[in-house]
Amino acid sequence: MEGQMKNNLGKRIVGTLAIPVIVAVVLLSLCALGGRSMINTALGFNNFVSYTAIVMITTIALSINLNSGRFDFSLGAIMTLSSVIGAKVSYAALAGGEGSAVLMFAVTVLSGIVLGLISGVIYVFLGIPPIITSLGVTLIYEGITFTITQGRYLMTEVQNDSMRACRNTWIYSALLIVAVLAFIIYVFDRTRFGCNYRALKEGQKVAVDTGIREVPNAIACYTVCGGLMGVVGFLYAVRTTNIDTSALNFGSIGIMFTAFLPMFIGGYISRFSNEKLGFFLAALCMSMLNSTFAVFSNEIKASTQSIINAVLLVLFLIYLSNEYRIKAFFRPIRK
Amino acid sequence: MKKIIAMLLALVMVLSLAACGGTGDGNKPKEIKIGVLVADVSGEEALAFRNYYEKYLAPHYGVTLTYTEQLEDAAAEKAAIETFAAQGYNAIISLSASDRASQLETCAQYGMYYAIASGMDDALYAEHKSNEYFVGQIGPSMTTEYEAGVAMGKYFKEQGVKKIGIYGAFVPNPMHVYRLAGTLVGLGLSYNGATEMEAIAGQLYAGFDLNAVAGDIAVTHYIAGYSDTMWDELGAAMGAGIDAFISVGMATTFFADMLNGAKLPYSDIDSFTSGNGKNVKEGSLKYLAGKYASSVGPIFAAVINAVNGNAIRTPEGYALSISQSYLVATDAASFDACYGADQGDKPIISTETLDTVIGEDVTYEQFVAIVK
Repeated sequence: MEGQMKNNLGKRIVGTLAIPVIVAVVLLSLCALGGRSMINTALGFNNFVSYTAIVMITTIALSINLNSGRFDFSLGAIMTLSSVIGAKVSYAALAGGEGSAVLMFAVTVLSGIVLGLISGVIYVFLGIPPIITSLGVTLIYEGITFTITQGRYLMTEVQNDSMRACRNTWIYSALLIVAVLAFIIYVFDRTRFGCNYRALKEGQKVAVDTGIREVPNAIACYTVCGGLMGVVGFLYAVRTTNIDTSALNFGSIGIMFTAFLPMFIGGYISRFSNEKLGFFLAALCMSMLNSTFAVFSNEIKASTQSIINAVLLVLFLIYLSNEYRIKAFFRPIRK
Repeated sequence: MKKIIAMLLALVMVLSLAACGGTGDGNKPKEIKIGVLVADVSGEEALAFRNYYEKYLAPHYGVTLTYTEQLEDAAAEKAAIETFAAQGYNAIISLSASDRASQLETCAQYGMYYAIASGMDDALYAEHKSNEYFVGQIGPSMTTEYEAGVAMGKYFKEQGVKKIGIYGAFVPNPMHVYRLAGTLVGLGLSYNGATEMEAIAGQLYAGFDLNAVAGDIAVTHYIAGYSDTMWDELGAAMGAGIDAFISVGMATTFFADMLNGAKLPYSDIDSFTSGNGKNVKEGSLKYLAGKYASSVGPIFAAVINAVNGNAIRTPEGYALSISQSYLVATDAASFDACYGADQGDKPIISTETLDTVIGEDVTYEQFVAIVK
């Protein structure tokens, strides 16, 4: 019995860490073969942690609704609009002075929560498929953003010592990773709301028949997603030192596609451990890939990077869809 | 009663049609509406031009000036022109370069005048210079862009840099291609063995290959366009210990904060704005080649003349093609000398200057004189 438990624990640890370790070994080997370091400066490490946080939080936000069958295109639009509001308000209040980053973070997250709430309420009250609703919400939020900024990059509002201090250390990004993971694990795994969410996810009709109220749960999910995208919006502004507000006509939905591959990887890892931890490890893999692309940017152009990302996603989906066949193929060899 | 109503209705219709005609009053100045095509809505240069047009020229001349949103490609440019045509605009001033031939052809199709407020490819000009709707182009020619790059490259070579990173901005945009070609030559580098303007530029249209660069200064990193990884790429370049970061455009928009923070010497070809003044005085922007905001004034005057039926043509009867050169600042004093001369309501090319070339009897020589 004890041996079986140890065996299971070992299997879970191996299953959880297999993909990140393989990715790290492959990418570090590639860097070594090319005579480069994946991360060669403190700034590189700051960017690495920051990108991990961005991908992890975006993946969590995407998965919350997608796991429940609600395809939400508005995540990118919420991210941009909330960060624009945060930047404008903080600059109006402090003119880039001390505390600007803290104020911008607070206002951006609050704006994200409100925008997510509005998105959820629209979905619930219109009663039409969420994919359609989210397309409409995306266009509205993109339009509002464009109206506020005239499509210009916001630079003055986010280029100040306070924001620079955030960029010059990895600590804040790491703290956000820990805080978001703790919050999401608590809310979705330890509360009645989380139980209801999981019940609705597994079988909506049965869950509703047992008395679980679907509408408040859906609105809460949208609200949490909005808040998370607010965090992402702030991190993006810190990382890029500007906010690109030119997206119109669904130009903002690209952010979703950075989260698909980590979402599937995270889903795979969740077979062996917590799903959210899986998202973190998947984001770590994506960040390693991003840093490797950066050091090989002279050889691998941006267009090629996109192709590599897409190929990796397709290969992983092929593996997931044919996993049993692949295992069956290798079984005789193992014997 | 019915007859009276019918007559009143007929009268209303006649009056309405008369109002639609609108051009019969010879004394009333013609209302001029100009659409401005822009590919960049955020760069320091773009903002400076826009302020000059919208806050200084448009109110003075009573012209309706409407900017497009950021135009990403040729299809967006064409759609924008068609929208302006549908709204009765008289002319287009273009600061967008995805497909200039298509822009001009679309304008001609709708009977709108077309002008370019920057340089254009010589071959393209030669092909379209006879088009009656083509007002012309006033801005740095491709040779001027190349020379700006040469001067910038030479500056850093004289500073003794050994290892550099380059931001190629939006190559294959012709302006950036020629600046990049010039930069390589100014640094004393060859590209696939070529050291001449056209030979290098011709190859750069196909993309930039670091392995093709040869010479005494090592170009270790090249960044281009706008992507998710470009800040990581700059971080990697800084980590590799580059001596300077040379940009052929837009670095002050995307990277200034990061470069200033790292105190890494950098350059840009942009414009003289307060933001760039801060980068020169408080940051590490060591070389700025720029246009002054009011440099786009003459093309505006040329458009007004064309719409009013007083088009200025070259002595051979072709569309205008006049090159403008860049001003250069390498320190606070030289920056102030360029920036201070082109401020707010006292720009280098003022309305008083433009008034001398807006009208019926303006000659080509008079016009060239104010541009130069």
